[in-house]
Amino acid sequence: MTSILNNVLNAMQQVIIEPVEGSLNLFKLVGGSCLWATELLPLSASQKVFSIDDNTPFLQDFLIDAQLIWNGSEDNRVRSGFWTEVVANNKELHLEAIAIKQDDQSLLIISNQTEDFTLRQSTMQSARELSLYNDHLIEQNEYLHTRILAIFNKPYEQENIITALTKAIENAGFAVLITKSDLTTIIANTAALHLFEQGGSSTHESSNPVDIIVQLLKNQLPEYERIIATKSSWDGELCWMSPPSTLKWLKVALYPVLDDLNEIKNWIIFANDISNIKYLVQRNEKSDLQDLLTQLPNRISFWQRLEKQIISNIPFYLLYVDVNDFRRHNEFYGHDEGDKLLIEVSGRIKSSIKTSDFIARVGGDEFAIILTDIDNQACCEGVVERILDCTREPFQTSELESFNVNLSIGAANFPHDAHSVEELMKFVDLSAYNGKRSKANSLQFYSQSMKDASRLIIEVEHELREAIKNDEFELFLQPIIDLELNKIVKAEALIRWNHPTKGMLFPDSFIAIAEKSGLIITIGKWVIDTACQMVDKINKMGHKVKISLNLSPAQVFDENLFPHLHACIKNNKIDPCLLELEITEGVMIDDYAITEKLLNKVRAIGVSVSIDDFGTGYSSLAYLKKLPLDFLKIDRSFVRDIVSDDNDKAIVRAVIAMAHNLNLGVIAEGVETQEQLDFLEQNSCNSVQGYFFSKPIEFSSFIMLLQNQKKKDFESHSS
Amino acid sequence: MIQKKICLLGASSVGKTSLVKQFVEGIFNEKYLTTIGVKIDKKVVTLENNSLQFMLWDIEGNDRYNAFQERYLRGASAYIIVADQTRTTSLIEGLEIHSLARKVAKCPAILAINKSDLQPSWHWEDKGLEDYNDLFDLHFYTSAKTGANVDNMFIELAKLLQES
Repeated sequence: MTSILNNVLNAMQQVIIEPVEGSLNLFKLVGGSCLWATELLPLSASQKVFSIDDNTPFLQDFLIDAQLIWNGSEDNRVRSGFWTEVVANNKELHLEAIAIKQDDQSLLIISNQTEDFTLRQSTMQSARELSLYNDHLIEQNEYLHTRILAIFNKPYEQENIITALTKAIENAGFAVLITKSDLTTIIANTAALHLFEQGGSSTHESSNPVDIIVQLLKNQLPEYERIIATKSSWDGELCWMSPPSTLKWLKVALYPVLDDLNEIKNWIIFANDISNIKYLVQRNEKSDLQDLLTQLPNRISFWQRLEKQIISNIPFYLLYVDVNDFRRHNEFYGHDEGDKLLIEVSGRIKSSIKTSDFIARVGGDEFAIILTDIDNQACCEGVVERILDCTREPFQTSELESFNVNLSIGAANFPHDAHSVEELMKFVDLSAYNGKRSKANSLQFYSQSMKDASRLIIEVEHELREAIKNDEFELFLQPIIDLELNKIVKAEALIRWNHPTKGMLFPDSFIAIAEKSGLIITIGKWVIDTACQMVDKINKMGHKVKISLNLSPAQVFDENLFPHLHACIKNNKIDPCLLELEITEGVMIDDYAITEKLLNKVRAIGVSVSIDDFGTGYSSLAYLKKLPLDFLKIDRSFVRDIVSDDNDKAIVRAVIAMAHNLNLGVIAEGVETQEQLDFLEQNSCNSVQGYFFSKPIEFSSFIMLLQNQKKKDFESHSS
Repeated sequence: MIQKKICLLGASSVGKTSLVKQFVEGIFNEKYLTTIGVKIDKKVVTLENNSLQFMLWDIEGNDRYNAFQERYLRGASAYIIVADQTRTTSLIEGLEIHSLARKVAKCPAILAINKSDLQPSWHWEDKGLEDYNDLFDLHFYTSAKTGANVDNMFIELAKLLQES
């Protein structure tokens, strides 16, 4: 090898080694003469052949990969990756090896990579410290949020709540503020006061932490009004600039605390100073306009682009894409899987839009897209359809578990809907939020009717709140007849709303809104209270009749449901065997673990459980087999044509047989004719319910039914 | 002397390097310095009737910047999955690495829950550790800082390898 090449190799801190032909583990040095190479492989200096043995175990192991390359028929190469070797005097060498096969020549190049190693270590050190800090922050936030909510939910005296809260938040490593519903401060921890201390004396701004945060939210967050009005949670980054000396990046989280009537009781605010992290990120990423996770432009970059787009005055559509149930996904599969999902979603969306369109990640699970060269709604719908199409394919976790994701997409047009960045963002955010209510894939264009619909929901919500206060609900009972005993053994409790102006309303006109607004929890508690009182009264009259209650999904996931049910049973001194809970199939699928836990607990105290509307949802036999159940209610839609439709006959027969095999009782709903009853009796159905016997009736009428039944029983026994 | 290759795997910053340092040199450094690539240390473990030389492969932690590389497990006699009990996610990540490692290495697997001198993460207990223990041949709560259970873990591992 020429001396010039040797000089280059030495300058590059590389040596070249060649395997000795015909030998598996003998080598000779053919280029380069660095001191470190002699320290690493002492025998290489003697110009003789040497072996690579377990004194350098990493290199020895790498030879297996190298041999594969050298023995191959084509030109190829493989890198070992960095490794560290300790030589004399505890000196560390940071090395990398490359095995090359080129024109039938086999070579092993070893490079001293100290410079690259140090650079990578410094970058990774920052990145990992950042990631560690984030992990701890997320855990601390989750912990403290849960703890504060638990304190609010306990029946403390007001002053004890303040003491408990102060104790809980004082030692948090970040700013925690608890405010009244109007965002006036109740408690601020020491970290909050420190965080918002301002350097410099001449400032006109308020030094109250909450005031500062609210001002920043108003100025930097177009969604602010919507978040407050819809009592939503929010977390994200805010930049706090207060001349002459303050410039801080804050990671802020805002959580509502709701009362029984779903009205804001308090706000919890967390704030962390992430200026250092921002600095590290900027140093590592060389850009503060890129989102670290998805590599898409970030929120700031998006705003700049949107401003430019508006100045150009060319019509365009703005889309706001929200991943439905992302928080739940994160909780279920973990944050890493959540990150993986966001990367995948962003990639799929990006591949479905034109390169001239602009996509950015503007929030945790939110993306914004500027669709250029589009000026009509139909074209915009076409693009959205493409986006939804590409996200319909199932996603996979690292464990190869498949799941689906739905998107809520809000759309607004410039200049038709709005002329400014703030207004446009506000409108698309509102549109996406409205679409999100459906939980399915949705596209919502900004429109007057959307605003009207939101207003209607708010009105009904308000009326429902009044209804709870004014006791406008009633519980009707529909008898369930045991076919073997031929008597009423059970009744399903069904709610009615005695509206002051609209008259008696059925649940389908208000339960959906009650569920969306969270009021279902309070209404559900009222149903449980009332049903327990009814059981007590019926029992005292000498009848033994069970009352079954419908549970909504929100109630199943409410951790206070079981304690409340248990307390009502105790307070009314009723036999728990006289209560039954009805859940739908959808609830089981939504969260099997939570449902199973609840059902096990209620059955442990003697309350029975039935599956409502069986056959209409995602009937999974696996769930039926695993879940602790007592009864299965066949949906009315199968019973309706049971006499004429052979398919329905077959289905009902199969369901009854299957239920009996699983030791479940069967109740048929919607029985209206003698023929239907005959069929069900012939096929060993256990109980029936429907207009053939009675529609849902008021409590007093139900008592009369029971008394008539008792009278008939008595007469038949005495005759 | 019989040599045994032992790989230390896990998420980043769980304390793999610190465990090796504590075991080999008996020291602990409070400052976190991330590992890049691989570093191999050797230590002889003396049992009653026998001695084994452990080749401890301290492998860069896996995270979004560094994916798991199965080739490092080639020829391993055992691997230790290290998790940090102050960070629940590190356990989940450790279990994922374990499932990937399982596919390529049929050797004994050990779970080391490190930083046992610190307060565990608040929902650490909810994670059903007993269930995970069944996935491993041995499991230990260790502290590279205080040295608690570190020597014991390697000695128990040596015994296990001697038996097999």
